[in-house]
Amino acid sequence: MSMTRAELQDAATKAFDGDLTPDAAHSWNLITDMGWLMMAVPEDQGGLGLGREAVGVIHQALGRTLVAGPAIAQMLVIDALSAAGGQDELLGRAMAGEIMSASLAEGLRAVPDADRASHVLRVEAGRISLLPVEGLALTARATWDKTRRLFDVDAGDAVGVVLAQGDAATALADRLSALRSVALAGDCLGGADAALAMTTDYLETRRQFDRPLALFQALKHRVADMKAALAAAQALFWARTEDSAADAVTMGAMKAHAASIYRLIAEEAIQLHGGIGLTMEHPCHLFLKRATLNAALGGDGDQWEEAAGRRALNA
Amino acid sequence: MSDALDSLRQEVRDWLAVHAPKDWRARSTSEAAFLELQRSWFTTLVKGGYAVPHWPENWPGGGRSLAEQKVIYEELARADTPRLLLSFMSTYHAASTLFEWGSEEQQQRYIPRILEGEIWCQGFSEPGAGSDLAALRTRAERRPSFSGGGDVYVVNGQKLWSTMGQFADQCLLLVRTSSEGVKQAGLTYLLLDLKSPGVTARPIHQIHGDEEFAEIFLDNVEIPVANRLGEEGQGWAVAQSTLSSERGLTLLELSARMRGALWRIGDLIRANGRSEDAGVLRDFGRLASKVDATCAVADQFLANRIAGEERVGDASIVKLAYSRTLREFTSLGLRISGLDAQYHAPITFGGGMETGNWMADFMNSYAWTIAGGSDEVQRNIIAERLLGMPREPKNWVVKEGAA
Ligand SMILES: Cc1cc2nc3c(=O)[nH]c(=O)nc-3n(C[C@H](O)[C@H](O)[C@H](O)COP(=O)(O)OP(=O)(O)OC[C@H]3O[C@@H](n4cnc5c(N)ncnc54)[C@H](O)[C@@H]3O)c2cc1C
Repeated sequence: MSMTRAELQDAATKAFDGDLTPDAAHSWNLITDMGWLMMAVPEDQGGLGLGREAVGVIHQALGRTLVAGPAIAQMLVIDALSAAGGQDELLGRAMAGEIMSASLAEGLRAVPDADRASHVLRVEAGRISLLPVEGLALTARATWDKTRRLFDVDAGDAVGVVLAQGDAATALADRLSALRSVALAGDCLGGADAALAMTTDYLETRRQFDRPLALFQALKHRVADMKAALAAAQALFWARTEDSAADAVTMGAMKAHAASIYRLIAEEAIQLHGGIGLTMEHPCHLFLKRATLNAALGGDGDQWEEAAGRRALNA
Repeated sequence: MSDALDSLRQEVRDWLAVHAPKDWRARSTSEAAFLELQRSWFTTLVKGGYAVPHWPENWPGGGRSLAEQKVIYEELARADTPRLLLSFMSTYHAASTLFEWGSEEQQQRYIPRILEGEIWCQGFSEPGAGSDLAALRTRAERRPSFSGGGDVYVVNGQKLWSTMGQFADQCLLLVRTSSEGVKQAGLTYLLLDLKSPGVTARPIHQIHGDEEFAEIFLDNVEIPVANRLGEEGQGWAVAQSTLSSERGLTLLELSARMRGALWRIGDLIRANGRSEDAGVLRDFGRLASKVDATCAVADQFLANRIAGEERVGDASIVKLAYSRTLREFTSLGLRISGLDAQYHAPITFGGGMETGNWMADFMNSYAWTIAGGSDEVQRNIIAERLLGMPREPKNWVVKEGAA
């Protein structure tokens, strides 16, 4: 990377250093103004050429403050347009922030902000295409996690702009799946880090039995376990993100691991906050809901871990 | 199993076949419907003589042996009847505390009204007093009543997490009457009519969309001294009766209900095409064993109690087993239902701990790892009281500013 990871991390955390769940429209402007949507795109296509690692940094920052919006899906569309080549006009519009969305699950399920998108990416066996949203049937699917707005899209047999077919489509689908896992895992690790920090802060300020809760070794060990698990997951995240050979299964298993750590930390955060963690007034639940949703999006742990297990068996 | 118990089981089953509410889950989608269902089911159970089998025999509906109570709860769970949530604090916490500490007059005044549907809540916890209950600061000052009659306590403070507090008529209130000596010594136990001037209850929004508990603000609330349980300064001892009442039988009922709900996970496995998934089946099997173990340890706890062999800390083992197993139960449901569970679905009010709305059930399972003494507090009790390990020193604190 021409810009170091540390520099980018610094800029990203400065952009979203304030309150949790910042305003969605404002966040989207910030994301586009900072050029984050073009980070991973090669320079000769008008991007910054910073690759998957930059994607990792950005999504950790977005996860840390639970930013709303379709950034993950948008990056998938941008990556598809960039990889397909010859779509400079659409690519330029997408990099500039015109919303183009994509499924975070299978088929055209779980498409973020489809109602605000001009296009939606369709990934099918042997064909990847970009469809104009106009005229497609959208069904809003409210999730427990209110930081995401997911839709099911019924596209019938609409074709739109075909970006890849046959083997090229299979290869691109694999690449998009890996990228989606990187983005989701980044979101998980950013959120986990924030939830852990929130919990250690709370243990230091909350007093029971005439002392801060942080003085109880039983609780210190819990946050120490959370920290150790998170540090290992972060290390794995960077190792695999930098590894250009890492494919969909490798990244999927990494995402499953990151999501399980996020869930662990979000669950423990609630437990260690006591009753207050079970109320809507406290942000604990925001992390828990985003963590469980992230775990289910982009293929769940059962799916990826089974695939990784089969691969390890045959290695 | 004796003939008498078998025939009781048959009798309860026959009665339930006629009286158990049908299709109530589908109906209980609003708070109003929940309240209506809870009230009518409680009234029906009172009439049938099955509402308060755990009460002493001199009260209507009471006097059942523990073995009989168990049969009744098993049958209620088996018929998937609504769990009594609204009247739970009334028939357990309030009643058992009144039986133990109430004067004849207090018992005659309050107990029959419970059977008529008067609702109680528990006002112990405060913002600064959760696990450390004795740190509570709600003040009560005794002075003569201006409107004649005996002395009153004038109460000021705030209570938090009162389950059903916004629907309740009466409140078991733990207050501070003195700041002298150890924290526990200055507490007094009062019975508060929630319609008294100066009382405000505000529901608390829970993360799964329910509003089961409330915060209660007390602003110069007058409580007659006649509404005190035990002596002034004896509140801590009285509160122990309240706290111990909810363990034991409740957990027997809840673990029986959890076992009775295992089919929901079985159905989920089939519906999601996972019947041949060895990994899932293994986890299901492991869960089923844990659920059985929880039921067994709750059973054994009761057997020990019947035999007068209960030890301090036994109840904590049952509660910890239940809370952890419930978390695993709901987690497995959450995992198998995948993305489906992430889509918001309205909750069934008062539907119990396992409703099949997996994300809501999962979040609701925290009620049991935090309320009624958190898992961590139960572990402390098991280590210190049951296993006899030394307590953490009381004087072990950080100096202000040193943390
Ligand atoms: C669903 C629900 C219903 C409730 N209903 C009622 C009710 O009807 N009436 C009522 O009065 N209260 C009620 N409560 C309150 C409940 O009793 C308290 O929430 C509980 O005691 C924990 O207190 P806290 O929330 O202040 O957490 P804290 O005491 O602040 O605990 C925070 C964390 O620190 C841990 N911790 C605390 N002390 C120790 C220690 N010594 N060692 C190790 N870890 C420790 C806790 O386990 C927890 O993880 C209810 C709570 C819930 C969640």
